Amino acid sequence: MALSLRNPTLINRDQHKMSYYFTILSPTDTPLFNIAFGTSKGGGDGIARFRFPETAQYMNQFIIHSSLDILEEAQWTNGSMYLKHIDTYPPAAAYITAFLTPSGARFLLLHQPPHLPSSTGSSGLGASSLLGSAGSTTRASSSSIAANPTSPQTEEAVRQFMNEVYENYVKTAMNPFYKQGMEIKSPVFRTRVTAAGKKWL
Amino acid sequence: MYNLEFENTIMFLNYTIALSDLGTLSNMGVFSLIIINKAGGLIYQREFQAGLRKLSTNDYLVLAGTFHGVHAITRSITPKIPSVQPPSPATSSPSTTTPAASHSYPNPGVPVTGLDYLETDKFRLTCFQTLTGTKFLLFTDPLTGNVDTIVQKIYELYADFVMKNPFYQIEMPVRCEAFDRHLGAWLRGRT
Amino acid sequence: MAAPPRHATMLSISNGDKPAQTQAQSQQGTLPQSPGLRVPSNRKTIYDRHLNRSRNAESSRASFAFLFGEMVTYAQRRVTGIQDLEKRLNEQGYPLGLRLLDLLFYRSTSTSSSALSSSSTSSSPPNRPLRIITLLHLIHGPLWRLLFGRAADALEHSVSPDTPNEYMITDNDPLVNTYISVPREMSMLNCAAFVAGIIEGVCDGCGFETKVSAHNQPTDLWPSRTVFLVRFGDAVMEREKVLERSGVK
Repeated sequence: MALSLRNPTLINRDQHKMSYYFTILSPTDTPLFNIAFGTSKGGGDGIARFRFPETAQYMNQFIIHSSLDILEEAQWTNGSMYLKHIDTYPPAAAYITAFLTPSGARFLLLHQPPHLPSSTGSSGLGASSLLGSAGSTTRASSSSIAANPTSPQTEEAVRQFMNEVYENYVKTAMNPFYKQGMEIKSPVFRTRVTAAGKKWL
Repeated sequence: MYNLEFENTIMFLNYTIALSDLGTLSNMGVFSLIIINKAGGLIYQREFQAGLRKLSTNDYLVLAGTFHGVHAITRSITPKIPSVQPPSPATSSPSTTTPAASHSYPNPGVPVTGLDYLETDKFRLTCFQTLTGTKFLLFTDPLTGNVDTIVQKIYELYADFVMKNPFYQIEMPVRCEAFDRHLGAWLRGRT
Repeated sequence: MAAPPRHATMLSISNGDKPAQTQAQSQQGTLPQSPGLRVPSNRKTIYDRHLNRSRNAESSRASFAFLFGEMVTYAQRRVTGIQDLEKRLNEQGYPLGLRLLDLLFYRSTSTSSSALSSSSTSSSPPNRPLRIITLLHLIHGPLWRLLFGRAADALEHSVSPDTPNEYMITDNDPLVNTYISVPREMSMLNCAAFVAGIIEGVCDGCGFETKVSAHNQPTDLWPSRTVFLVRFGDAVMEREKVLERSGVK
């Protein structure tokens, strides 16, 4: 938690800029594909700026994997492919949105709004109050899609993003040299996901 | 050797004569089918009429081999006709020109096939040879029309249910239940 | 490291918006994960092709028959028996089932005239099957139509109280067996074990652990009638009970 207070100036500069971490997990939870990017809406430059840049690389994966239990529960109550927002990790203000392909691959998108000056003070407190503060920040900046992880507009934008990734994933899966559960190494796929992120998020 | 060939030919004619005995009984005109592989081996034999005189399996094999030989002979004795050439002094002395240059088949573009059909007043034997050298021998009533269509259909069924069957080994006897079934059903449907 | 000029030509990314960047990257060798990416001469990768090509791009029945015939011949090499051969055919079909599942859902979401009959609303994407019956209907209808151009002929539940986990899907004339005559000494064999593998892949992909086998059940009218016996695992049956209690459809 101490890290969050270390460079508040940097955080303030990137206000309203959402950062994303997108990952594809196989049905047996093997990571198949990872990408980190930032919003391109509202003048964003598409570069991810996580709150804790030093640990983000590991923490993002950790947060995503920790939501898998909830995902597996939701999987059997909701038949949609797009499961919307399923989990929040308050200490990092990370929101997890999930999409399940019929063959069991999980698309998980972590979005992390930037620190707002109003919420930095409470970051050392308990989880519940943080959740509350996160709610208040979303209300405060609800005009911007990219800044509000749970608004219907965001859900819709993420849906479009997920559908586009799904199309490319199906194309990958139809490649006779690709076997289910293999890491997706295609640079074309990466380009396509980046483009989808740019387009919708 | 020649003698044996000759005897086989006699037997072959006997068989065909036996077939001709029941020509009038037929209501659909197709008596029997024989398939011979490119080496002259019998790979399929089936009768479509009750009451045909039976031969032993060995006799059928000999029959197939004999026909194969007869077919080869008929192909090699296909007569060539003198080429139509502008009259010139050179042709007046045949011994100086080679026969190949002065004689050719009536229709040079068509390959020499050999025996196509053999007809008596009681039956007709049609021989169809595929590009790979497999021969289909169809015995029909002489009054049956459109024999070529029947042969084509049999060839089609063979291509479908024999050649597409993973359990069929090429040049080996045809034991394909689906082929038998479809062949029987189609011939029955024609009547 | 590969020679830069060769590398640069191979790494042409068809998207085309950042050719300069990729070229620069490739010359520095900074794309180690793609050493051998080759783009077709028309610069169309699989990502540039449409997935909806079912309408007027059906493959020829004859070429499929020859291909499948070769697959059977291939599977037959060094097998120990009929069961072993069926297992191999099943294994050939299984990965196909996993792929088809994704493709089937993609096609039914993207085309508004949805291929999934179960979804009444045309525009909304179909749901993943959560219950056994939905899954079996998906196989019986949409999957069969995607593969064979028609629905399967019957779907039944085992009447025996001892085997509530057994379901049967019947095809009166399986496409894969159209041209196949099994020799008498192998009469137990049914090459539709390949299709059984596809079904198994679809069920497993959806999270229903299953064993599927193909059985000959000829009738006079349908000599190659085949019954696919679908046996769900115990975990699936337990979950089914839980889902039924909680009212999940």
